[in-house]
Parts: sequence; C-alpha cells; structure tokens
Amino acid sequence: MVFTSLDFVLFFAVVYAVYRVLPHRPQNWFLLAASYYFYGSWDWRFLSLLLGSTVVDFFVGRYLGRETAQGKRRAALVLSLIFNLGMLGFFKYFEFFEESLAALGARVGWHFDPLTLDVLLPIGISFYTFMTISYVIDVYRREIQPTSHLLDFALFVAYFPHLVAGPILRASLLLPQIERPRTISALQMRSGAWLIAWGCFQKMFVADNLAPLVDSVFGPSATPGGADILVAAWAFAFQIYGDFAGYSNIARGVSRLMGIELNVNFLFPYFVRSPQAFWRHWHISLSTWLRDYLYIPLGGNRGGAWKTNRNLMITMALGGLWHGAAWTFVLWGLYQGAALVAARAISGWSDAAGLRIREGLSASRIALGVLMFQVTCFGWLIFRAESFGQLARFARLLLTDLRPTMATVNSLFIPFLMVVVPLMVVHVYQARRESEEAPLQLPLLTRYALYGAVFWCVLLWGSFEGAQFIYFQF
Amino acid sequence: MNGQPRAQSTVLRRAVLFGIVLLVQFAIIEAGLRLYSKSEGSATFQSLFIDDPAVGHRLRPGAEIRYNTDEFTTDIAVNAQGVRDDDPIGPKAPTERRILVLGDSLVLSVQVPFAQTFCENLERRLNAKGGDTRWRVINGGVQGYGPVQDWLFFDKIGAAFQPDVVLIVAFVGNDAIEAYDTAAALKAGRAVETEQPAIGRLREVVRASVTLQSVRLRWSQLKARFATGTPERPLTSYLANPPPEVAAGLELTRDAFGRIVTRAAGIGAKTGIVLFPARFQTDDPDFGRLAEIVRQFGDTLERNAASDRFRQALTPLGVPLIDLQPALAAEPDRIELFFQRNVHLTPRGHDVVGGVLFGFLETSGLTAPVR
Repeated sequence: MVFTSLDFVLFFAVVYAVYRVLPHRPQNWFLLAASYYFYGSWDWRFLSLLLGSTVVDFFVGRYLGRETAQGKRRAALVLSLIFNLGMLGFFKYFEFFEESLAALGARVGWHFDPLTLDVLLPIGISFYTFMTISYVIDVYRREIQPTSHLLDFALFVAYFPHLVAGPILRASLLLPQIERPRTISALQMRSGAWLIAWGCFQKMFVADNLAPLVDSVFGPSATPGGADILVAAWAFAFQIYGDFAGYSNIARGVSRLMGIELNVNFLFPYFVRSPQAFWRHWHISLSTWLRDYLYIPLGGNRGGAWKTNRNLMITMALGGLWHGAAWTFVLWGLYQGAALVAARAISGWSDAAGLRIREGLSASRIALGVLMFQVTCFGWLIFRAESFGQLARFARLLLTDLRPTMATVNSLFIPFLMVVVPLMVVHVYQARRESEEAPLQLPLLTRYALYGAVFWCVLLWGSFEGAQFIYFQF
Repeated sequence: MNGQPRAQSTVLRRAVLFGIVLLVQFAIIEAGLRLYSKSEGSATFQSLFIDDPAVGHRLRPGAEIRYNTDEFTTDIAVNAQGVRDDDPIGPKAPTERRILVLGDSLVLSVQVPFAQTFCENLERRLNAKGGDTRWRVINGGVQGYGPVQDWLFFDKIGAAFQPDVVLIVAFVGNDAIEAYDTAAALKAGRAVETEQPAIGRLREVVRASVTLQSVRLRWSQLKARFATGTPERPLTSYLANPPPEVAAGLELTRDAFGRIVTRAAGIGAKTGIVLFPARFQTDDPDFGRLAEIVRQFGDTLERNAASDRFRQALTPLGVPLIDLQPALAAEPDRIELFFQRNVHLTPRGHDVVGGVLFGFLETSGLTAPVR
C-alpha cells in the first residue's frame, strides 16, 4: 500500500475520519491497529518481527531505566543490539554474505553449497530497527526516560507514516507527541496538505517520469555512450531524490494532519557545495543516526586526522551497506567516505592558504555547487550500477566518449529538463527560504497558481501505476 | 457576531479564485498541447478521423498529415475510399486478387511509412512469387477499432473492396474488452449511442480537448482499479482469474468474427484470423514490470493467457488461425520489434510479421486459387 496508491487514499480517509472523533488514548490504540494493518498489507507474516522488536526493546528499555549496575545495563544493551542487529543481519544480509563467502571460497578452491533459505526482506526493517536501537541506546545513555506504556512504545515503532521508509525518528521527538493529547490547527492542516501535494509531485511527476529514462540507459540491453550515461546519472540523482524526498514529505504531511510532527529528512541536497553539507541535507535522519550511534562512538574526530578519516570511512561504508545487500552499495559508501575525507583535507589546505569563497551568488560558489553535484552524481552511478562490470564500462565511457548524439538530446536531455526544471523553479524559491513550506507564504494568487500547476502536473503527467518507492527495498 | 458568514464568504471567494486559476491554466495547457503535443490527442492526429453513423468513426477519405513524435515522423495518406493507401481502390482487374486486412492501430501502423507496413511487406512478398496474378493487400486498420467495429467496417465499407481473402487481426490485449464495451452495436448492426444525451455531449467535449482526454485516461485507470484489480483494464485478459467481462467479450468477438466469415463467404472470399500479441508478451523486461504492478494489485499476470483464450474462443469458427506471439518471441532481436513508448511495431517488427503472414497464407491455403 504505497502512499501514492488509491488503496492508501482510501485507507487514510477512513483512518483520518475515525481518528478525528476519538479521544487521545483510543486514538493511540486506533493508530496502532491501523499501523499494523498498513504493515500487514504487504505481508502479514512480518508483523511478528515488528512485534518482537517492539516487545524486546520496550522491556530492555524499562530494565535500563531502573537498573543502576553498569555491568548489567551494558549486558542488557548488548543483548538488545544482538537481537536487533541479528534480526536485521539475518533477513537483510544472510544470503548476501553467504553468496559472497561462497564466491570467495570458490576462488581459493574451497567449494560449498550455500543454504537456500529464500529469505524475504521484510519491508521497512532497516528503518524500524534503527529506531528501536536508538531508543535503547538513548535510554542506556540516560538521555531519555523509558516509556512505561507498551502501547505508546508500540505506536512509536509502528506509526504508519514513518514505518516503511522513514524518517528514522528519535524517541525524544516522537514519544512525547504520542504520550500527550494532540491538537490540530488550521495552519497544520494547510501545511500538511501542501506537503502531501508536493510529495506527490516529487514522486509521481519527477521520480516516476525520470525512471524510464534511467532504465533505458542502465537496462541490460542498452548500449549508451558517455553523454547518455552522464544525463542518466543526473536523471537518477533527481529520480532517487524525488522518490525519497517525496515519500518523506507525504509522510510528514499525513502525520501533520494528525497533529504529529516528523523531522525534516531532506533540505535541498543538490544546492550544497561540499560532501559534509550534502550529508547534512540528504537523508538527514540516517546521517544523524550514523553520526550519533556509530561515528561518535567510534571516536569521531577526537583522535587526530588518521582516526577521523578511518571513522568516516567505516561509518560511510556501513551506511552504504545499510542501503542494500550488494557490494556496489558498500563501494558507494566508501566513495562517500572518501569524498568526506578529501573534502576535509581540501578544507584544511584552503583554510591554511586563507582561501575563502565569497558569500552571495558568486561564480565560484556556483562552480563549486556544480562540481559538487557532479561528485554526487558519480556516486549515484555507483549506487545505480547493476554490476561492477557495468560501472567500469560506464566510467570508461564517461572519460572517453562524451559526445552527445541527437538521441541523447531528444530522448534523454530534453525529457530530463522538462521534468527537472519545474522542480528546480520551486526549489530555488524554497531553498532561499530554507523550507519546503515556504510557498505557503506566497501571495494568494501566486500560491494558487503554484497549487494549480502541481495539480495539473500530477494529474496529466504523473505516473498512476502505483510504482514502489525505491527506498522500500532498504 | 457575523464572523462565521464572513469566514464562509472568504472560503467561497477563495474557492472561486482557485477555480478561475485552474481554468486559466487549463486553457494554457490545452493551447500548448494543441500546438506542440505529439500525442494521439493532438489536433493533427485527430484530423485523420471522421465520425461515421454506421461504424462510429473511420479514417477521413483524402486526409494527409505528417505525424511527428519523439520516436518517429511519418507521412500518412488516406485514399478516397478511406483506407491508408497511396492509390484509390477501383474495380478489380481480372488478374488482380485482393487481401483485406481488418484490425486496429496495429494494422493501420501510423508509426512507420506506408511502404514499411506489414501489409505492404506482404504484398511485395506475394507479388515476388511471379505469375500472372497481381496481389493487392488493403490496409483496413483503423485506430481504436475492436471486433465489433471490424465487423461493421467490413459489412458497410470493406466488402465493397471485393476482397478474395479477409485477414482479421485480433489484438488479444484489448479486443475482448472492446467487444464487451460495444455489444450494443453488434446487436444493432450499427454504431449506437448507449448513453444519455448529456453524457454524450460531455463525451464530445472530452474528445475535443487534448487535456481532458488525458484526464479521461486517468479516470479510466481509476475505474479499472475499482472494477478489475488491475491498473489498466485491458490487462484483465491476461489475469489468472479474469473478470466475467473477459469471457463475455470473447464470446462477442467470436460472434463478430463469425459474421465477417459468413459475409466474406457470401462474396466469395476466404477468411483467416491473426492473433496479435501485446509487446510484453515478447519483451521480458516489459513483462516483468507489468507483472510486478499486477502483483501489487493482488493478482497474477500470465504472459500468454489472452492469446490462449482467444485461440480457444475462435477455433470453433473453423477458419485458419495464426498466433504471431511464438514467431515474434523467437526472434533474437525481439526487443527491437516494438517501439518502446507507443508499443506498436517498428519497421523491423513489420518485416517479421510480413514474413510470418506470407508463410501463413501459403500454408493455410488462403491464397490458393478458388476453384
């Protein structure tokens, strides 16, 4: 039941109508039931994992809250981590590591038959597992108090707007909103509706229209030139952005209509000028999670340049692996780590040399932004590649054959522009005000013109095939 | 005290303003699409057709357009008799034998130049055999036709072309559904308006607007989702458990084609049936994509289910029948047989189909001299 499907529209209409007439505690019970129905609509069998994760981490949290002996607390934390990461590892990575081991073994003459378990990937497991892990760690660190209501905790884990593709929420943000009665203002309704509309535009108009362009280049029978690959990489950059940011915005909008705020997950990531800034603007809930629960515990930037760089590489490699069980994702993570390391070095040199980029709309800032976008796009090439072989072939073509053909212009570049230019026009305005809700402040007539344009774009040119969101597979 | 009426008035004013904004934008989009659209809704393409009280719609006799899209540019000429051909159809010479091919857009083939259509390809192959007989293959395809329109077109127009052979091309992707939707016309023996006058006028407005045609497509998808559990209604012919309208549509198809067979026999012509597959029946990635979409809707897409159902339904007619799917699927370059965006045959696809039909005519005895 994807957000842009008719099923979800009907589901949410019923849920919302009932939700608005219920008092606070029954609201929570009802939302929990609705969330389990939402999750079960993909595959009801995986509800057991969701329930298991909920029950285990609720009681571990309670134990950590009242226990004072540090050794016992640490043991409880480790048990919780083993349970959560074990579950994630088995369902998401078992076959990947087993096949990788078998392939490695075959190279050294050691043959074994991998177990064929046909493990299915439970949708959203990477997201809710990271949420429960952060809850347990926060309680362990005594940064938050554990909740004493299983219902509230279960709703924190399973709340349907964030359940299958994030944002990865912290208990400190969501639990208080679950525990307290909620009010819904007219402004929340208006901005929530805008976020939903804007998210639908990003997903159905931008991402779903770019998908065929990208597939035509990355597909198995394609024989693209370097210019085709370049445009396809740009297109994929906006496809994955429209897909994921669109989902996040619909999630935020739906949740806001129910009086619950979710955190901003994307903040114009293609307008940045450094890898550090990119990760402050792209999938913010994941990057802050990795920072707080992996990078900083590894030592962060406290042990000198070498250790900082090592920590960055480990964090980003694991962040890459989080996206999927494939070596291309690991390579993408390492590439992102290397970009961060290189950017730190360049920043250090430029600071030492007293180089400064002028504020405002200067040519050097624009050039740096364009360069950073190309760096990001090369990362997306790694991310999207079907295999290392394809990646190597594409990289070679990018370096040796960048001459565009008429087909590049007519079939790729012009369709790409027709989709991306409308997005960018609105984005420039939003980015200058640092909020996707900025259009709500536009003069009435301009605002209505924008609402109308979004309406027509989605209605006439949006994809209505109910295509899955890319990030569901993570 | 008067706060509530004032608030209501503000809401009303804003709703009216928003409505006006939408209307203005609609006008701009409509104008833009009429001027620049490359879709079949464009004014240029629509000028190929005229309403016909007997058949519903048909090609406009004497029409000539250049149809330009991202994938192809084609000059299309319609002759005085209203079929896609450079030459008129006059009285038949003693040495001439004619094959009339009936069907929809897959036969009309606006995506390729006339000389590259499978009808012309077939004609060249037949004439290349030599001998005294001169073959003429007449392209009787019209965009949007289903089995019932095939029958009406043949009965009212095509039979007068004096064919010796009639080839009915059934598109298994949507012909059952289209037959089901036009059952009333089959019963009446002519095109009928089955709706209220107001609905009919609304339909005319929608037909006249490129923008509203897109909106109508969305509406059809929405209805299909409710009615059939698939994103697009034609896909129901391929479902593991098709709705009853598919079986009903197949019966109506057999009825319509049976009438063509009988009428053709009445004028001394033989009839053959050609089952034309949808692109995804030969294109693995396309099938995978659609199968996944249907799976998300809770059903199963079976690749050749529609072809099998048509063969089963039409075999009782006792006329030669060929399914193009195996031949197209066996081509090593099958991914290049159809255009990617408009799912019709490429020139290469037409060449393959022309060859397959030539073999079919030879082996089925359809082109054998009448004793």
